[in-house]
Amino acid sequence: MNGGPTSGSRRAVVWWGRLVVMTRKEMIQLFRDLPIVLFLTYSFTLAILISGNGLRSQLHNASLTVYDADHSSASRDLVHRFHQPYFRLLGELSRPDEGLRRMDRGSVMAILEIPPRFHEQLAAGEPTAVQLLVDTTNAPQGLSAAGYAGRIVAQFGQDISATRIGGSSGGAASLPIIASEHRVWYNPDQNEAWFESISGLLRTITIFAILLPATAMAREKERGTVEQLLVSPLTPLQIMLPKVLAMTLVILGATAVALFGVMQPAFGVPIRGSVILLFSLTALFTFTTAGMGLFASTITHNQAQVGLLTLLVVAPMLMLSGITTPMEALPDWVNALMLLSPLRYFIEIAYGILLKGAGLDVLWSQAIAMAALGGAMFGFGTWRFRRQFQ
Amino acid sequence: MAPTPAQPSAHGPQHTDTVIKVSAFVKRYKKNAAVDGVDLEVRRGEIYGLIGPDGAGKSSLMKAIAGVLTYDEGTVNVFGTLVDSERAAEHVKQRIGFLPQGLGLNLYPDLSVEENIDFFARLRLVPEPDLLERKTRLLAMTRLDKFRDRAMKHLSGGMKQKLGLICTLIHEPELAILDEPTTGVDPVSRRDFWAILAELLQEKGMTALVSTAYMDEAARFHRLSFVSNGKELASGTPAEVRALVPGWMVTFEAAPQLDAIARLKRTYRQVEALGPRLHVFTASTDAAQAVSQIETALGGMTSSDLRVDEPELEDVFVALLLRQVEHQEADGALSVSPMNRDHDGPAIEAKGLIRDFGSFRAVDHVTFRVQPGEIFGLLGANGAGKTTVIKMLTGIMPPTGGEGRVAGADMKTAGNAIKERIGYMSQAFSLYLDLTVVENIWLFAGIYGLDSRATEERLQWIVAMAGLHGYESHLTGRLPMGVRQRLALGCALVHRPRVLFLDEPTSGVDPIGRRRFWDILSRLAREEEVSILVTTHYMTEAEHCDHLALMYAGRIVAEGSPSDMKSQVEQEAGRLLEIETDIPGRALRRLKEAGFSEAALYGTKIHLLSRHHAEDEVRLRTVLSSDGMSVKAVGGRPLSLEDVFVHRVMTLEQQEAATKRGVGS
Repeated sequence: MNGGPTSGSRRAVVWWGRLVVMTRKEMIQLFRDLPIVLFLTYSFTLAILISGNGLRSQLHNASLTVYDADHSSASRDLVHRFHQPYFRLLGELSRPDEGLRRMDRGSVMAILEIPPRFHEQLAAGEPTAVQLLVDTTNAPQGLSAAGYAGRIVAQFGQDISATRIGGSSGGAASLPIIASEHRVWYNPDQNEAWFESISGLLRTITIFAILLPATAMAREKERGTVEQLLVSPLTPLQIMLPKVLAMTLVILGATAVALFGVMQPAFGVPIRGSVILLFSLTALFTFTTAGMGLFASTITHNQAQVGLLTLLVVAPMLMLSGITTPMEALPDWVNALMLLSPLRYFIEIAYGILLKGAGLDVLWSQAIAMAALGGAMFGFGTWRFRRQFQ
Repeated sequence: MAPTPAQPSAHGPQHTDTVIKVSAFVKRYKKNAAVDGVDLEVRRGEIYGLIGPDGAGKSSLMKAIAGVLTYDEGTVNVFGTLVDSERAAEHVKQRIGFLPQGLGLNLYPDLSVEENIDFFARLRLVPEPDLLERKTRLLAMTRLDKFRDRAMKHLSGGMKQKLGLICTLIHEPELAILDEPTTGVDPVSRRDFWAILAELLQEKGMTALVSTAYMDEAARFHRLSFVSNGKELASGTPAEVRALVPGWMVTFEAAPQLDAIARLKRTYRQVEALGPRLHVFTASTDAAQAVSQIETALGGMTSSDLRVDEPELEDVFVALLLRQVEHQEADGALSVSPMNRDHDGPAIEAKGLIRDFGSFRAVDHVTFRVQPGEIFGLLGANGAGKTTVIKMLTGIMPPTGGEGRVAGADMKTAGNAIKERIGYMSQAFSLYLDLTVVENIWLFAGIYGLDSRATEERLQWIVAMAGLHGYESHLTGRLPMGVRQRLALGCALVHRPRVLFLDEPTSGVDPIGRRRFWDILSRLAREEEVSILVTTHYMTEAEHCDHLALMYAGRIVAEGSPSDMKSQVEQEAGRLLEIETDIPGRALRRLKEAGFSEAALYGTKIHLLSRHHAEDEVRLRTVLSSDGMSVKAVGGRPLSLEDVFVHRVMTLEQQEAATKRGVGS
């Protein structure tokens, strides 16, 4: 060694060179693993397409039958207000008990029962009621069907009253009616494919970010190659960092394919904010999550265990970080726990940049939280890495 | 077993003595023939050996005989039943015990020793009283009775294998098929294993088909087949196989050794350097002629301490393999490239190294020194502490106490400097199997910080040294074991280390590959002054080392050059006697009763250590002939390192048992 600045710069060159060869090694290994490559390709293309197309939480074509005991113009008028895309009218029942049988079989979701003398009572200004039976086995759909039906019936009643009053005392205009006018922001067409495909992408990124580095590490342990690395001059950081770098690069590439190759052409998902910011923060998220994966790999012995542990960690993370359930609806302790989930911050970042056009001025706190979490995870992982072999 | 009426086919028209008959057997995996036309006949009551390197096709053949693998051509008859369908196989399986390859792979790690045995007995419907009786006897015989309640996963490798054997034999099958039962097991446990097997076979009249990758175990079989690349190269009794390749083994010392090797290699294909001694196999049938030919080949160089012996079976196998491989790959020209010299003094120095795991002391005050250019062998049973010593010296594991210097750097303070100066190769040949040969070399060159010019230069050197021409862009996973091993060595040498650590570097490699590997090692040590610390289970390989240290229970219990180690034992316990009789099993029992406690069965011969050859010979002859047995021959044999190892460890175990008894009473 010559000492002085030359040896310092030489050391930097060697350090950098090690990082490059190790990262390249990870990339080669990943792309020679055919099952992983296929799984990766499917997850970032077809699976995103399916989640954008298939998942619907709005009421859509709920099957409805009617038992109309009145057969009047009023009852027909009401029945016709239940129409597509929310309801699909399957026809009329001849007997009242037929409906329940159908509901038991699952061939119908809602039954509307109109009592005899419906029209008469309306005409006479007497109060009357209709009955709606709803199958709420699928709770969100059932409740939303009940809600829609309630609004349709209320609107019908209001119209009837309006004509009655208007008919007797000159003009509906004098009635005190409050109209609630919606303004839908960020997604004016209320296009669900946007939300669903973005959340599909977030799910996929999370799973791969945790799984890829963790299995790569576990594979080295399984095959014994890690020993060779341990006796080499590589530091734990130089062993672990390249795995994360390689996997982050791969995931960023795949995200670009999903975003520009699937979500934009198929669903017209907008990118209102900065693309560079989006990808930088995606990289930060991948890095943080990969830190969790590496930590997982230090407490497991083989790839199968890594798979199971990932399932255990990822499932609650996906459920509780706010994609499927709103954070506000969760108990406080879960909310507190989810402060440790990088996904919680990334969801806000991704929707913020894509749909709201938010910039770092809004999202800085999430970015900092994620970076802190990632640094901690990574530090803890490298510390565990050495210890596990002693 | 269901009491079905005896099947007439079960004892068939064949010779009643034939248990297994295999003819023209072919097994293919996709297009590759793993076994390509093998014939085999095993007779009742014999231990039949299948010998060959990894990938020779032994396992495929054994699985087909056990009825758990289909085959493509030929016939397999077991107990006279043609095993060609699941039904036929089911019929035969009840009379077979099969131990698959791998340490304890057929056992349940979380069950205790006794629970494992009970499970296998009940699976085989062994009646409870029989089970109780057999279990007691087998546990006593294997010395596992103290560990009845220990979970299988906490047993040592040798103990696992013994338990595996018990579980395979608990239903007293007529035929035991054991696939590499001794691989990865230390010499003492291995010898134990053979003794137990021989005793069981004799008592119960069982037959055994056993495979092994250790060539030196060949002499233990009654008859054997030597298989390589799916073909049978030789078969018969050990003596018959030896007769296939007539010739003599000439050993001597000549200096300078490297010159002598270069001259000899022009004439002879089998030249081996074991420490200072050269071993040359000559095909001439006359011993005197063999010596004079060698002297001519040496061309005026003086040789000393010359002796002529009958070749060992391993030499015969190597000769047979060399016939199969017509073109001998040109030996990689090892250009002398001086290694980095960063200091003078010993290459490795360990002073009072200690390592505790909880309350267990795995390494106990280990002290040794490895000089530059020396090949130092660390021997010991599984769990003796060899790997822990290596881990501490390579900086993977901090020591609990003691000091160590490696390549001039202090183990405690300069761990990183050590790592840059050493090469390391483990038994797994830690290469990336999904990278190609050059990608592996590039990777390690990058890790050790070589620039692109140095990388290219070392790449050429490694390819030449390891004979990798034509393999450069092959995936490492598809390389033959021997080539893979040399690549791993090359990667460990990429940065020209002065000290090389090799942790069981030759497991699973065929004998030619192993010899070639050791050739490279001795040239590295002699020409480039690389110091090599190696651990091995193959005692024949330990002969290559300049200096040996034997570890037992974390301590070094014997040290010296191979010949020192042998003469120490000869002084303590006497020289080796080999006895040939007509009924070896009974003879062994009689001899043990008569006070020859260390006597052991070695194939059909009995080995024992004796201090007074002439007197002992007279005594044992009278003991045996008084019992109506005829003694065919009694002769002295040179002590092998395995004998040394077993003697040392057994003596220590006995002392330990004695002190424990002393404390207990």
